[in-house]
Amino acid sequence: MEILTAFAIGLTFAAGIFQILQRNVIRSAIGLMLLTNAISLYLLSTGAWVGEKAAYVGTAAGHPVDPLPQALILTAIVISLGTTSFALAMLFIVSKRYNTCDADGLKGLSR
Amino acid sequence: MAVIDPYLFLPLAVVFAGAALAPAAKVVNREVSSVAMGWVLSLFPLAAFVLILDRLPGLAQGMAYTWSYPWFPGGRFSLYMDSLGAFFGLLVTLIGFLVVIYSGYYFGRDRGSWRFFAYILGFMGAMLGLVIAGDLITLFLFWEGTSILSFLLVAYHVSDPKARQGAFKALLITGGGGIALLLGALFIIHVTGDAGFTAILGSGDLLRQSQWYPVILGLVALGAFTKSAQFPFHIWLPDAMTAPTPASAYLHSATMVKAGIYLMARLNPVLGLTEAWFWLLTLAGTATMLTGAILALKRTDLKAVLAYSTICQLGILMMMIGQDMAISFKALVIGILAHALYKSALFLVAGMVDHEAGTRDLRRLGGLGRSMPLTFGVAGVAALSMAGLPPMFGFLAKETLLATAIHPSLPVYAAWGFTLASVTAGALMLAVSGRLVWDTFMGRPKDPGITAHDPPLGMVLAPALPALLSLFLGQFPGMKEEAVLLAGAAGAAFGSEVSVSLALWHGLNAPLVLSMVAVAGGVVIFIRRCQVMGLLDRLEFSRALDHGLDKGFDWTLLAVDRMAHRAAAVQQGRLRTYLIVILTGALGLVVVFNGFPPPLDISGLSGIAMTTATELALLRLVALFLVCGSAFACIALPGDFSAILAFGASGLGVAVLMVLEPATDVALVQIVVDVLLVMILVLALTRMPREKLAALRHLATRTSQSSRTRDALVAGAFGLVVMFMSLSALLSRPRTSELSPFFEAMTKPATGSSSIVGTILTDFRGLDTLFEIAVFGIAGVGIYTLIRFASAKHKDGAADTPGIPERMPLTSLGVGGSRKTPLLRVLSHIMLPLTLVMGICDILYGHDQTGDGFTAGVIISIGIGFQYMVFGYSETKSRMPWLKPSGLVGWGLVLALASGVGGLFVSGHYFSHADFGKLWGIPLPKGVHLSSSMLFEVAICLSVVGSVSLMLNTLGRPNR
Repeated sequence: MEILTAFAIGLTFAAGIFQILQRNVIRSAIGLMLLTNAISLYLLSTGAWVGEKAAYVGTAAGHPVDPLPQALILTAIVISLGTTSFALAMLFIVSKRYNTCDADGLKGLSR
Repeated sequence: MAVIDPYLFLPLAVVFAGAALAPAAKVVNREVSSVAMGWVLSLFPLAAFVLILDRLPGLAQGMAYTWSYPWFPGGRFSLYMDSLGAFFGLLVTLIGFLVVIYSGYYFGRDRGSWRFFAYILGFMGAMLGLVIAGDLITLFLFWEGTSILSFLLVAYHVSDPKARQGAFKALLITGGGGIALLLGALFIIHVTGDAGFTAILGSGDLLRQSQWYPVILGLVALGAFTKSAQFPFHIWLPDAMTAPTPASAYLHSATMVKAGIYLMARLNPVLGLTEAWFWLLTLAGTATMLTGAILALKRTDLKAVLAYSTICQLGILMMMIGQDMAISFKALVIGILAHALYKSALFLVAGMVDHEAGTRDLRRLGGLGRSMPLTFGVAGVAALSMAGLPPMFGFLAKETLLATAIHPSLPVYAAWGFTLASVTAGALMLAVSGRLVWDTFMGRPKDPGITAHDPPLGMVLAPALPALLSLFLGQFPGMKEEAVLLAGAAGAAFGSEVSVSLALWHGLNAPLVLSMVAVAGGVVIFIRRCQVMGLLDRLEFSRALDHGLDKGFDWTLLAVDRMAHRAAAVQQGRLRTYLIVILTGALGLVVVFNGFPPPLDISGLSGIAMTTATELALLRLVALFLVCGSAFACIALPGDFSAILAFGASGLGVAVLMVLEPATDVALVQIVVDVLLVMILVLALTRMPREKLAALRHLATRTSQSSRTRDALVAGAFGLVVMFMSLSALLSRPRTSELSPFFEAMTKPATGSSSIVGTILTDFRGLDTLFEIAVFGIAGVGIYTLIRFASAKHKDGAADTPGIPERMPLTSLGVGGSRKTPLLRVLSHIMLPLTLVMGICDILYGHDQTGDGFTAGVIISIGIGFQYMVFGYSETKSRMPWLKPSGLVGWGLVLALASGVGGLFVSGHYFSHADFGKLWGIPLPKGVHLSSSMLFEVAICLSVVGSVSLMLNTLGRPNR
């Protein structure tokens, strides 16, 4: 299962990178978010142990999963939601200013 | 013998205080005249002079004063004053005192002269610090200080392009040398293990025998040669003559150019006495001496003549340091003193002539002696000293130089060359000084338009004093103290005893004969100067000497400039190319440092694999497939809208994996955030210029195969690296955790909650979450500001572009602008109240169960976003006038800060848990806790709703 998980993380990451490298700026934004997904999965699998139940105290028998990565993922998701929204707004402004959605068309940057 | 002197910093502090006072005086009284300022500010160098003088008796007994102050860990700011330092320090402050008085008259009515005073006193401080620095790092600090302040002084007339160029050239050459010096100093420290001079001066053999000796010698010499204008680095000095004359007099005669001499003299006992040292310094010095002497004769600008004669003298001094005889160090100190005295006087005279006559061109000047008798007198005395004629102090300097030249300890052929060069230079210098005085003050006036008279007495005083000193120092050989100081300085530079007597006459001996030869030659050259100058002009060699090096320098600068342009051409402004370069570079680093494939320990692979039930494993497989399948679908689908949906599906797959973990809180957040992200993406898509997007879709199909392959290769390689990284992380992760057991054990007792993850977020790491929410809020406000204000300011049409009419529903995207169905309208009416209820429940029961303030906020935001999607911007606005996003963000953050206060009262710690319900005995439904963390959750929810509404509001606002 580890191999498959790692494989999926790698594939999602590759898809994200590929999307970022596209000329369409909307695709680049999507790529950024795909990266976030891959990283969430990666963090999720770094838990010290695999538990038998969710991380709640005293509800049912069994040992709860490692709560620490989950807390970290929550933080990561919140921040990435904020930053990707901001990135979108930036892309939007840039595409308006240069009147294009093509990353290669942003000629003003070479000046 | 080193003695700690707690007040050694005083001279330095006094001078710097003067530098600080100059601007302050201008602030206090705008009308203060330059003359008054000069007189007042001259007291500061005078005080420093007296303070150094005060230490002479101790120095005469062979003591050295030290002082240090811990500056940074492992570093000291330290001072060290022995006879050599004091000798230079006295020169710096004495000439500085005179120059400051003189500057007052020189600038006269110039209202901006406080700037000059500040610079020159600052420079004086740096120069003084340089000669009494106690370790190499402190020395370097002051060394750079002199470079920078001299840059400011040379470029004082900023509107003059020549001044700027001269300053730039000086800074480039001396600054470059400064870097070499720093490297050399670091090597010295590496070898000796200590930066302090007291330690370094004791480890001469260590340094000379070190394998780094050639490197150290080269670097230190480079620093000293550039600073002291040695051939071929002398080219900056004539160009620096664009400085105001008092600065030229000070920097380029008495002080800054002597810094390199000081450095070499200081290090001579530890780096000197080797063959390399001898040849390097002797050859550089001889070349410099001859270059300076020849070019001095060719120049017609008074200051340029002085500059080249200074270069000549600097060459002589450098040559002296290269020798290993006591007499050459006697020549060194006498030469430094004599030169500082007569050259500063001559520079100041040149300034007065320029000031009064309005020109410095020797071809136009002449016959000024009658109208400027005082100036003439001063110039005459100084020039006699420069010519090396008795009874001036300069005579003694030349005698000792010639005595060194014929010293039997030199190799025969070297001695001949050496003697010849010295005599030639002596003759040329005599001719030059004769020319200086004659062409300026004697003969017939060449330009009838020039009317001049003596400047005020105070101004004449400045050059008169050093000129008189050069006259009298030679007359009183019995002046013990001076001789003792000079002997001490020479001894410190030589490394052992040097006896110095200031008697002019040593009887008829070989130096005197040589001197006569030089004088005779000089007189001949002087009388025949027109022919000699004509001859020099015709000589290819002298022309090359004149301009070749400057051309080389300019060419080098040009070449650097061209290379910079070439390098900048790589920056072609295509973001994707940058990204590929960055990514490939990162990949390269990973491969270089980890090798490929990375070492993996796969022994742990099987053990954990099947801890979950088989069916669940199957479900996990499906979810994994969903995640990557959707990610690839997202690439493959041609439409942007479908790509966004595919991305959403991938995110939901991640949520399923989280549920399987089981991580229910995270899964819930992942689901709602995924939905919200899709919503925001769709809204952003609607705001993009649609015709451009359509054009791009055609373009995407036409994107060249090679660039797609390149992208795919980079992405694939990166994915592979991440895969290996995840795998090795998964396999090698520690099976125990330091923190998690603590969280598990403490959750219930500390907060009464049973949700460990939620408690970590709101209580254990509450402050962290506070920052995180602040970031989120700022992102929302940032988007709002970016789109509403930044783009409006630049008029780039992001704020308002004619295009889609305002009433246009936003669902038009993907469905092509069709009207909303009644079902959709009804649904969206129900959505908002429903999400509100869900959000409230989430907050109320989130303490013990899945859900938290953030989830609640996002759920409510989805309800609001749905309104935007269905009803469009203006209708939503009119439907929900109560929604004030910015206020929500602000109040949310304030409430979040306030929620921590409860803990302050209950347990004394800000942000610690406080259960008010239990505290005040309020009856609450089961599972609801009225606690500080609940307040915090409410605050988070408010600011999330506010922030997301801001995003939706600005991204969803149609173009007008």
